[in-house]
Amino acid sequence: MSSVEPGEIRVFAQYDRDLTLEADVVVVGSGPTGAVVAKELTDAGKSVVLVEEGPPFVPAEYELDGGLSMARTMREGGLRTTSGTIMPTMQAIALGGGSLVNSAICNRAPAFVLDRWCTDFELERTTRADLDPHYEAVATFLGISVTPDNVLGRRNLLFRDGCNALGYQCESILRNVRGCRGSGECFTGCRSRAKQSMDISYIPAAIRGGARVLTSVRIERVLAEGWRATGVVGRVVKPFTGKPSHQVRVHAKVVVLAAGCAATPVLLQKSGNLANRSGQVGENLQFHPGVAIMGIFPDPVYPRFGATQGYQSRHFLRDGFKLETLWAPPAITAVRLPGSGMALKNRLADIPYSAIWDGIATCNRSLGRVRARRRSLDPILSWKLHPADVPVLAHALWVLAQIFFAAGARTIVPGVHGIAPELHSLKEAEVLRDRPLRTTDLVLAGNHVFCTTRMHGDPRLGVVNEMGRCHDFENLYIADTGIFPRSTSVNPMWTGMALAHRSAHHIAQQI
Amino acid sequence: MVTAVLWALALCYAVSRVAIGYPDPRRQYRGLGRGEVAFISSAGEAMYPAGGPIPSSGLDADLPGYLERLLAASHLQTRILLHLLFFLVEHGTLLFPTPGRGGMRRFSSQDVEHRVAALDGWAESTLFFRRVVFTSLRAVLTMGYFAHPPVVRRLGLAPLAIESPICEADLLYPRIGERPESIGKTAADLTAPSAGIPLPQDGPLEPGFAEPRP
Repeated sequence: MSSVEPGEIRVFAQYDRDLTLEADVVVVGSGPTGAVVAKELTDAGKSVVLVEEGPPFVPAEYELDGGLSMARTMREGGLRTTSGTIMPTMQAIALGGGSLVNSAICNRAPAFVLDRWCTDFELERTTRADLDPHYEAVATFLGISVTPDNVLGRRNLLFRDGCNALGYQCESILRNVRGCRGSGECFTGCRSRAKQSMDISYIPAAIRGGARVLTSVRIERVLAEGWRATGVVGRVVKPFTGKPSHQVRVHAKVVVLAAGCAATPVLLQKSGNLANRSGQVGENLQFHPGVAIMGIFPDPVYPRFGATQGYQSRHFLRDGFKLETLWAPPAITAVRLPGSGMALKNRLADIPYSAIWDGIATCNRSLGRVRARRRSLDPILSWKLHPADVPVLAHALWVLAQIFFAAGARTIVPGVHGIAPELHSLKEAEVLRDRPLRTTDLVLAGNHVFCTTRMHGDPRLGVVNEMGRCHDFENLYIADTGIFPRSTSVNPMWTGMALAHRSAHHIAQQI
Repeated sequence: MVTAVLWALALCYAVSRVAIGYPDPRRQYRGLGRGEVAFISSAGEAMYPAGGPIPSSGLDADLPGYLERLLAASHLQTRILLHLLFFLVEHGTLLFPTPGRGGMRRFSSQDVEHRVAALDGWAESTLFFRRVVFTSLRAVLTMGYFAHPPVVRRLGLAPLAIESPICEADLLYPRIGERPESIGKTAADLTAPSAGIPLPQDGPLEPGFAEPRP
């Protein structure tokens, strides 16, 4: 079986020899941005090959256990961390990428953020008005809509009540979900098939339109001649073990890298430091580091029920952070609780009465870099939380504490080293406001990653232009969140997809 | 000569500490040594003692069995890190002795009170590295504890049974490792998408989490 027909998907068990394909466009990575590019270009009548390292997951493959689920769906078994400031960060390895295991939050980048992008990075066509038609196109296709009240569940509604009591802006979150049943299982795969992850939305549409999809293929190198990319080459890899076998080579008129902000720079570096005359490939690594607090309420919260992340507050965006509700598989939730022995068991018994809310911070001063590991395509993520960003996260914790007590919590568990494991009143919680914190006092997590191949109007200062085309190449594009020049200050998926939508339509006109 | 004798004694001690004197586990665990099984069980017992608001203990939850499954599902690098984690806490008592007599004995050889004290030492250390080690250990043990159905049932957190609608994607993707011919579904099998009806709180639990029938 050496050819792949238009509209065919190839899975690991089908590869029995080396494979060479020709296409108009090869897209590397099937996450939210790569899937959009593949579908839009297929719709434009182009011949598209979409390559994904992970396998497709069907509901029978979903692990309800949080740890096993991460081991199967995440790179490095879900144990990837940054160095410098140590912080866990995850990247999915599955058809559909992170959309399979994220909570489907859709936020447009605020106009003031995009305006700063334009002024600071010499961009001319990336204002909110420029991007709105692309946001709309994605929203229409995915059915992005407000989370309905009847599936919010009490842990989301308590956040609303707390914000309302304090006069903080809050809202039900827009998500790419149709028919949510409130299972709270977004992070392990939506068994209700309600979340419109890429594997059930954009990718089937691309296949329907004739795209060829190769799963379990790890691209190891971009092929180039002069200032033109000519294709990609990689290997079939066995799901979960990554054991390589047959070679896969795709020759194409246009190469689009959408492997993710951590993987795309590594791929360029492993390909002979491609597209790096600016020296910016792998630089400027940014996260949205997040902190969270668990609150315990006097009455049951029934946290199992409700949209995983159904409510948010953008009240403090200009102060540098956004607040949102959170739920994770119970085992992952329990990991946050302090102590050991009977004290820990007593706290676990409080989980049915608990809610977790988190804050993610913009942190434009906290930068790092991505480098390739020797003999591996896994990245080394060096990143440091800037000392000036620590008070921003501390402020987020303090505001979360206020919201919890305004909503009626009897206790909060701040999870901050050096502060009592449980705080029982707003008065006690003032320690979060008053005590200077150090980076190592905080338990951080960072799952929004961007800027490692940033766009810039000046080719000396950025890797790609506004359309995602590498400054150094005529036909090499990057379409993942690495092209953001700076944080979006909100969840980045929808902005990444809007930019990918724009790039796809630009590419369609070029070939 | 003296140096050689001292090295030989140190080697003997290291071998005996790492490899000798561990009890035979109740069953064989693939990917876990005897010492690791003893460590995981003893750490689980200290982390989740019997009694209290959740009757199941760490021992009841067969944490070595969970870690065996987790290791099997993990990449080589993750497996190495997990083995190192177990080794570090088991023998970390040499560097950070538990207060009291016998505080330098390996973790799994200490009694429960000493093990809890040893864990607290890691958790409350001023060294960030030690706190990270403790958090990592607690994370994997907690995941194992919560994989024990009686624990999540007791807390009302066991997943509800959900019948997944059959959508277009289900006609395209086989189970991992299988060929498309195994899909066995056609367009005629497609079902209506989710109508967004909230899950009933008292609905049946997912098989595997439900109470075993007597």
